[in-house]
Amino acid sequence: MGEQDKLKILKELLFTEEHEYADSIAQKVEELTKIVNQKKELSHKVDPIIDDRLEEFVEEIPKTLGPTITQALKEEIKNSQDAVVEALFPIIGKMIKKYIAHEMKLLSENISKKTKKAFSFKNWFRRTKARAQGISEGDLAINDYAKPRLIQLFVIEKNSGILLADYSPLSENTIDKEMVAGMLTAIKSFVEDAFQGGNQNLELIEYELYTIHIQNFYSYYVAAVISGAYNMMFKEVLEDQIIDFAKNHISSKDLEDSSLFTKKLKKHFADEIV
Amino acid sequence: MKLSKKVVLLGHFGVGKTSLFRRFMDNEFSEEYKVTLGVQIKKKVITLPDGRELSMIIWDAEGHSDSVEDTRKSYLLGSHAFIYVFDLTREETYITLTKDLKYLKENYNKIPAKVIGNKLDLVNEKEINTLLTEKNIPFDCLTSAKTNKNVEHFFSDLANEISK
Repeated sequence: MGEQDKLKILKELLFTEEHEYADSIAQKVEELTKIVNQKKELSHKVDPIIDDRLEEFVEEIPKTLGPTITQALKEEIKNSQDAVVEALFPIIGKMIKKYIAHEMKLLSENISKKTKKAFSFKNWFRRTKARAQGISEGDLAINDYAKPRLIQLFVIEKNSGILLADYSPLSENTIDKEMVAGMLTAIKSFVEDAFQGGNQNLELIEYELYTIHIQNFYSYYVAAVISGAYNMMFKEVLEDQIIDFAKNHISSKDLEDSSLFTKKLKKHFADEIV
Repeated sequence: MKLSKKVVLLGHFGVGKTSLFRRFMDNEFSEEYKVTLGVQIKKKVITLPDGRELSMIIWDAEGHSDSVEDTRKSYLLGSHAFIYVFDLTREETYITLTKDLKYLKENYNKIPAKVIGNKLDLVNEKEINTLLTEKNIPFDCLTSAKTNKNVEHFFSDLANEISK
């Protein structure tokens, strides 16, 4: 037996297992290739059938299941109105906001067109002001109509919530001011307590078209109910007027005599253009 | 000159603070129990014996479970009187009374605290008087919000006292 033969026998003895393993892998790869090719072939045949069925399904579903789904939805909405409203509220809110923004834009454009056609000193002044501020005449006119207005003014003792004085430029007033003063104080105390703000004070309450501006002093606070667009400019004017009133017109004697205090408050704020 | 006074109703849950409040304010009573959350405020104008009018602004605070110290402090500030209400049928509502009154005196010493034992319609008046004396429970008045017993009288006396 030659050297080559011996080597061959030795190789066979040593690598038999590896050969078998390599063969099994090759076999598996071949099987997998077959499966993949079969699937491709199958897919060519089956896909058009599935597509057809799906198309039919899409066409048929509204006819067959539509009334049932509609009925089920109706029932569900009827039975859980609160949940439905809860879910729809943010969506509707957004839609309304968009709608209003669009309508306001149209209104503004409409006003701009009309004011351009008509000449008057008032319009001419507004046009100049609008140009100077870089906004449209329509926007300026709308702002004029949405001007913030003082509806009611309360001076309230800080801890007790007792009404010290009040003033309203409106003649009709049906609310119980003393109860409002108490409730405002309770709300204020609750918020200030609940959020543990230390010496921080509640300064603003907003509800729909109204804003309650709260200005705090040492033993009392002033709450002003405002309608319209409460903006920074208005806030500053109002704050200055309240500070001015507190500085020049409120004495410790006034805090004890609410009727005298109310008279002073009326006189001061009736003369002011808030 | 207008006279306004703040009065706060205090006491454990379910002793009948809101019932007393409703009986005095609106002359109404309901068997239905609803827990007060936070505080409710109402006003009643009382004519004093000297002809002056007093606006009594009553804060009906939510009941506490353990001690009056649990009541939100900001509700108590600036009061002109406290009315501490307990339930004559539930001992746990007056067992802490002495401690609670001590707390009020220490922290709000200028504010008078009146004590009412309520639900008089559910107990024997003579027996309960003896029991409270035995247990050394101080009280100013025993009332029934349901039958309106002593309610008006109590608030009129209080109005007189705080208007001075």
